[in-house]
Amino acid sequence: MDDALRALLLAAADDELVIGHRHSEWTGHAPHIEEDVAFSSIAQDEIGHAAALYGLVAEMEGSDPDAIALGRKPEDYRHAILCERPNRDWGYTLARHWLYDTAEDVRLEALSESSHDGLRAVATKLRREERYHLLHADMWIERVARGPVDGRTRLIDSLTHAFPEAIALFEPLESEHEALERGLLPVPSDELRKRYVERAARALDELGLPTEVGAGADAAAEFIASSSGDLIESDDGADPEPAGRAFGGRSGNRSEDFQPLWEEMTATYRENPGASW
Amino acid sequence: MTYEEKLAAFAERVEAGGKVETEDWMPDDYRRGVLKFVEMHANSEIMGALPERECLPSAPSLRRKMSLAAKIQDEVGHAQLLYRVAEDLGKSRHAMYEDLVTGKSKFHNVFHYPVRHWGDVAVIGWLIDGAALVTQAALRDSSYAPYARVLKRICAEEQLHLRHGEDITLELASGTDRQRWMFQDALERWWLPIIHFFGPRSNVEKDLLLRWKVKTRTNEDLRQEFLDRYVPKVLELGFTFPTPAPVRQGDHWVVREEEIDWQPLEAIKRNQGPETERRLAWRRRMYDEHRWVREAMAEPVVHAA
Amino acid sequence: MEVYEVFRRHGHKDPFEHCGAVIAPDPDMALIMAKECFLRRGEGEHLWVARRSDIHSFKDESLLEPTGDKSYRFASGYRDVIHKREKALARVRELSGGGAA
Repeated sequence: MDDALRALLLAAADDELVIGHRHSEWTGHAPHIEEDVAFSSIAQDEIGHAAALYGLVAEMEGSDPDAIALGRKPEDYRHAILCERPNRDWGYTLARHWLYDTAEDVRLEALSESSHDGLRAVATKLRREERYHLLHADMWIERVARGPVDGRTRLIDSLTHAFPEAIALFEPLESEHEALERGLLPVPSDELRKRYVERAARALDELGLPTEVGAGADAAAEFIASSSGDLIESDDGADPEPAGRAFGGRSGNRSEDFQPLWEEMTATYRENPGASW
Repeated sequence: MTYEEKLAAFAERVEAGGKVETEDWMPDDYRRGVLKFVEMHANSEIMGALPERECLPSAPSLRRKMSLAAKIQDEVGHAQLLYRVAEDLGKSRHAMYEDLVTGKSKFHNVFHYPVRHWGDVAVIGWLIDGAALVTQAALRDSSYAPYARVLKRICAEEQLHLRHGEDITLELASGTDRQRWMFQDALERWWLPIIHFFGPRSNVEKDLLLRWKVKTRTNEDLRQEFLDRYVPKVLELGFTFPTPAPVRQGDHWVVREEEIDWQPLEAIKRNQGPETERRLAWRRRMYDEHRWVREAMAEPVVHAA
Repeated sequence: MEVYEVFRRHGHKDPFEHCGAVIAPDPDMALIMAKECFLRRGEGEHLWVARRSDIHSFKDESLLEPTGDKSYRFASGYRDVIHKREKALARVRELSGGGAA
């Protein structure tokens, strides 16, 4: 078993699956019917990305992508906690969509230089799809950020809330050291996180959004930098709010939001062992 | 020309198979009738997304998760096409949405029912979409040309949904006992609503939409085509029908009129189906809570960077 | 003078299709000219013109290329049904102990 490669692939694949799952919950309920259709494609794309990445894991282990996607226990998932958060409203969904896809672009840019042939090929392919996601996210964020005050306020609140959690998308991976040494992950998570925070903060600044939006992210980045490796639970049990709240996803730490999501997402699969669909 | 003369010319044209475009003169009854019909069709597509949407989170494989999402996406896309047709007849999307969420307008009976498990996805995708395809294919000849045109595309996509639904059904039919039970259980709950879906016998004399060729075939005619086409396929897979069970009559499969309980349909016509209020309330809440999105789309940019 | 894109529709069942462009000083003149340039043999029953400057498109058309595996959006993605039907019928025979279903 190649633990370093597995950790790297699962982190990305689980992010895609769980956020795709959340995005797909909008189907039939998005606030504008044309957008409902558009956003569904993004949900499908993310699940498709997950399938491609699970495919690499399955190939390596001689197993089945569905078994990996839907057959694991909740504590075996490795996505960032941001992805499992409920959709709340369209404002939060947009904020997270933008934060996530900006992060994904940073991550895929790095992974398209991976020493692993399969991963390099998948990352290059997914990055092409990502261009459209970014265009979609940028356009929406800009319209709302520059629009009427109610929407703008909601966006600011959502970004302020989600940005610190998005930092955890670049939490160091399990066996990161080995992944770096072998060039599977060509750029350390700490460096990717810096690139990401810089890029996202600059874009938000260009939209004229208040600096508080990024402030939580800076604190979170510091937190993660000082705790890289063994993450959130401090010995005295004190919750390192707010910045530390969303960390630990890469080593299986889950928020209270994941259990119900997991139960629903895996129900049909779990209840029918051995069935083919 | 007086209104009466225009009306006579219009009736003659439609009778001869002529088509009507949005910008053409049309009698007010025709406009209102088509609008109400297309609006209900549009409502049904958007409300029809909801039962399947409730099954989407627990789709049993990645491929099914994507393909079911894509299928629901098509239904929402149909609603988009149909609302556009209705809007051009003189009612805003906003007004149609308000009427839908406040229960003033209607949507098809089958979307008032709950879903329980993956077997429902099979029955909806195969049999309900099959029923919808029979009725919609007949409307491709509708006298209202913009409606007929969008139906061309809708039917092409419904054809695909049918394959998708049949594919899911066949997996269940060849699967474990529990998978077979899933389809059988769903069939038992959905069969009566499917029969209702076609509606009671058409009153050819009084039905304005039939007279003006907006609709081209009667309810009973459409139901017969559906039964003949699907009943043998379901039986072949070893499943059984609940009441009103189809029986063989010459070359046809028929259900006995006296075995059809119309009571549930009457309740649904008053928007009192098992899931009507819950689904409408949720949609109403989403609609109210997202007024700011509609404003953000309607207003020009107000904040400079 | 401006460029007007021209669209025509053959019959009530068809969508409008782009068929060319004319240069004209205003929309009315554009219609008159388009009629003779593009419909003089009865190639359509209906005609639209739109200022080219009013038409928007993606600057990067590669964005329109389908991405990822979207085979599930096409009938060809379900070609297996024939095989699956046989499998299901075999299962029915097995359940009924080889007899009639």
